[in-house]
Amino acid sequence: MRFRRLLVTAICAALALAACTSNGPSGSDSSPRAIELTVFAASSLTAAFTQIGSDFEAANPGTTVTFNFGSSGDLAASIESEGTADVFASASGTYMDDVSNKVGVSGRADFAQNRLVVITPPENPAGVTSLEGLAKPGVQVVLAAEGVPVGDYARESLKSAGIEKAVIANVVSNEEDDASVVAKVTSGEADAAIVYVSDVTSAVAPQVRAVQIPDAVNVLATYPIAVVSSTTHPETAQSFVDYVTAPDGQATLADFGFLPPPAA
Amino acid sequence: MNASQARRSTPLPIGVLAAIGIAFIGAPIAALLIRAPWSDVLDQLSSSGAWTALRLSIIVSLAAAGLSFVLGAPVAWVLARGAIPGRAFVRALVILPLVLPPVVGGVGLLAALGRSGVVGRWLDAAGIQLTFTIWGAIVATTFVAIPLVILATESGLRSLDPRFERAAAAMGASRWYVLRRVTIPLLRPQLAAGLVLAWARALGEFGATITFAGNLAGRTQTLPLAVYQARQTDPGAAIIVSLILVVLSLLVLVTMRDRIFAR
Repeated sequence: MRFRRLLVTAICAALALAACTSNGPSGSDSSPRAIELTVFAASSLTAAFTQIGSDFEAANPGTTVTFNFGSSGDLAASIESEGTADVFASASGTYMDDVSNKVGVSGRADFAQNRLVVITPPENPAGVTSLEGLAKPGVQVVLAAEGVPVGDYARESLKSAGIEKAVIANVVSNEEDDASVVAKVTSGEADAAIVYVSDVTSAVAPQVRAVQIPDAVNVLATYPIAVVSSTTHPETAQSFVDYVTAPDGQATLADFGFLPPPAA
Repeated sequence: MNASQARRSTPLPIGVLAAIGIAFIGAPIAALLIRAPWSDVLDQLSSSGAWTALRLSIIVSLAAAGLSFVLGAPVAWVLARGAIPGRAFVRALVILPLVLPPVVGGVGLLAALGRSGVVGRWLDAAGIQLTFTIWGAIVATTFVAIPLVILATESGLRSLDPRFERAAAAMGASRWYVLRRVTIPLLRPQLAAGLVLAWARALGEFGATITFAGNLAGRTQTLPLAVYQARQTDPGAAIIVSLILVVLSLLVLVTMRDRIFAR
């Protein structure tokens, strides 16, 4: 019997709590504007955008920015089916086109570029010293899966170097995003991988050895950002986009290894 | 015993909540059926690499269920009958993979058995590598499935009437003979239940496998990993592969229902 009373109390408390939270927004009429902005961003932007997000919050009191980082294709699919994003920042124009066609976007702008780099564990067990080194038989290579922008860019780069077939034969795992690719190298499981230059953050740098890929066979990934048309905060969303493309945002992106967008 | 009589008297609130519960569980499955691209299902099957993943899934899950059984049943015996120190702690430890997020299991396995792991570095020196191989997929899946064998077997051992075994021993049977001819036959339903549940769990394993063994078609890409990857590029194929898993798992549970639930 006591148990039952406890249960009833617990349920009442849960209901009361739920009522409280759902009253939250309407009850805060007195404060100027409490806006929660949801930004879907490519996982390669995790570090840079986390920084930009807190800078943006500091510059816009009352606004909180919530990020959902993941593979651009995944994010595009979930924007199309759920429409919960205010802003979308993609690692590939293709997925932005997709969202643009199916949901609609506004204020689209290219805001950064990224290049590819080969990384190995610090002790470089397979002796990879160039992009061609990935083609040596027995090197355990990890790439992002096809359909993940960095995985597609890596294959493109290998193709232009004429070693796509040999390297694909060495691939031991196709990972879901660049963060997982990096993890396979920092944990010492993979001998080598191809990721973005920006993935080699200050935290990652001591745990890997970077091997440059020559410009001739490198791929420049261009990142577009835009306001998703289904947003309920179009103005705040646009001011976030503007912040990313303005000098402050650009400086932060440069700090995290991104290149400026192509000149229009 | 009189089931039909008992079935007549379901109080209304229970019936309503039960209906909601069943609908809640059934909705995603029904939605998969509705959304599946039936028109080109055969093309999808042949092009999406589903068959490769299916074959690999069956090999990996059967091996994992077998390994879980071989290692898990003795663990259960020791927990139920053995004189081991800290039994409560050991029991909690071996059931842990059941409640742990599988990705945590994968990270732990990497730290233990990865190429530069605590034990793995010695394996690596001996030329044995588990990560990125089918063996890695089997190890990861076993880690997640083994508690089901342990739970089922231990509960079976505990509910076993010890008089049968005592009687056999009193009549001069050796311990080995008693185990083989009395204990194991009496335990058969629980052993079967543990084995089947472990197999079903192994079939659905995702997190530990992708974390520890990676994702490569034909080597470590089991059905759940194939679903995850297809979802990015080809949602239709993801649904088809999901349905293969649904049918396979449902088949196991339906055909084995008497073994699992009957006493």
